[in-house]
Amino acid sequence: MPEKQYQKPLPAITSLNQPYWDGLRNRELKLPKCDACATVWYPPAPLCPSCWSRKFTWTRLSGRGHVSSWVVFHQSYFRGFDGDVPYNVAEVELEEGPRLLTNLVGVSNDAIRAQMPVEIVFDDVTEEVTLAKFKPRVAIPSTQN
Amino acid sequence: MANFDLKDRSAIVGVGNSAYGRRLMRSPIDLAADAIANALDDAGLARKDLDGLIVSFGSPIGADGDTLAQVLGLNLRSYNQTWAHGRFTASCIQWAAMIVNAGLADAVACLASVSFSGMRRPMMGGGGDREGSREAGGGHGEDPVYGMTSPGAGAAMVARRYFERYGTNSRALAAVPVAFRKHASMNPIAMMREPFDVEAHQRSRYVCEPLHLLDYCLINDGAACVIVTTAERARDCKKRPVLISGMQGLPGSREEFIWSYPGLGIAQQSVFDYKAELHPVYKMAGITPADVDALFTYDAFSILAWIALERWGFCKPGEAPDFTQGGRIEVGGELPMNTNGGLLSESHVMAWNHQVEIVRQLRGECGPRQVKDARIIQWANAYGDSLIYHV
Repeated sequence: MPEKQYQKPLPAITSLNQPYWDGLRNRELKLPKCDACATVWYPPAPLCPSCWSRKFTWTRLSGRGHVSSWVVFHQSYFRGFDGDVPYNVAEVELEEGPRLLTNLVGVSNDAIRAQMPVEIVFDDVTEEVTLAKFKPRVAIPSTQN
Repeated sequence: MANFDLKDRSAIVGVGNSAYGRRLMRSPIDLAADAIANALDDAGLARKDLDGLIVSFGSPIGADGDTLAQVLGLNLRSYNQTWAHGRFTASCIQWAAMIVNAGLADAVACLASVSFSGMRRPMMGGGGDREGSREAGGGHGEDPVYGMTSPGAGAAMVARRYFERYGTNSRALAAVPVAFRKHASMNPIAMMREPFDVEAHQRSRYVCEPLHLLDYCLINDGAACVIVTTAERARDCKKRPVLISGMQGLPGSREEFIWSYPGLGIAQQSVFDYKAELHPVYKMAGITPADVDALFTYDAFSILAWIALERWGFCKPGEAPDFTQGGRIEVGGELPMNTNGGLLSESHVMAWNHQVEIVRQLRGECGPRQVKDARIIQWANAYGDSLIYHV
């Protein structure tokens, strides 16, 4: 009964962001990509915020990016985070451009650095919801990808 | 533009505030009544003269416009309200200036009243913060799913990004809250008047690292109000009118994030070297930043003072850490900022207390913290809106 045990806020799933959360549940990071101008965007929108085309495709992304900024919470605002302080929240810039708020795992808060390369970790927090967290990755030359 | 030129066409003629305090245990309607009555008295106006009202921060923390009209027995021809957010101070005054010049009302009270102590559920980042969990992200970058909660966390995210980009740190940032507390020590209505130094700032606990407790504004109760009328009508009021000579609205786009200027790379902003052109507010007022005698800004978090200085062109991106050292932003310095002590040390009334202080400065009513010969004062924010006032 993971739902009963999970005390943290859960996402409000809407008609716009449903494919995003469905993707994570299936272990895929997917964001809308414009069929006309190739922009990839976040948060989910009904049209391309760049060219206003309504033709776009939910596209699987690499799941890789780098830390663009981060904070460490020393105060808890929701009971579910009481046991976690101090905990980090990072802004990860994906290789495809958009930035996501997330938690970094597998790294101590003191070891977080700007530009640190990271990759996605899927965290099934309930039976319905999987969160996108990130862990440090060893940088490998892009030619080997 | 020429057929509706608002330069120097409207003025603030009265300012008033309620008591400020941590736990006043008074209804926000009660606090608003004090601020409105004090502002009318300051202007030499009566209740019957007041026919417009703009509330910038309503229920559940403050009192709504319709409530105030009914409960206080006002007789309004025009009222309006923004959603419960601190960012709309300039917008409200800009609307008031347009309303009085369009003839929709003669005298408009603009205000916020807040009673945080009356809140049963934590509003700022906790379970009662509905906006923080709205679709597509909260108003300050909140995402409670990952524990990204509270307005200060968005400012902390900006601060970290800024520190990394420009090679500075929390110790340098301390100059801002230290200066504003020094100002508060000369302000009898300020809530926090005990000066502190950089070391005390560094010792204060982290709330959301890299921001310390002393980088955070107060959370308190209080109300503050300004009365706007036409420049023509202002001549008949009790005190010297403070004219509104420049205005710039609140910008919104994917390049904007509430606590940073474009280019910093927060939220979905692009990354580029921001360059402050001469903003429209200066062109409207016919001045440049060099003419500004004192600068006031929304200082919910200390980092916002740095962002504002750079956004408006008082210094270049990356230069604010140096700019704010050595008393330069203190009374007696080159560019005094937030001489009331700001949200950091005077009171958090959504910056309506800052508008009150600006008017008192321009009238020369500020005693030991008076900016000598202050004639032009600017309200200019990290998030990109502004007013220029002058006498």
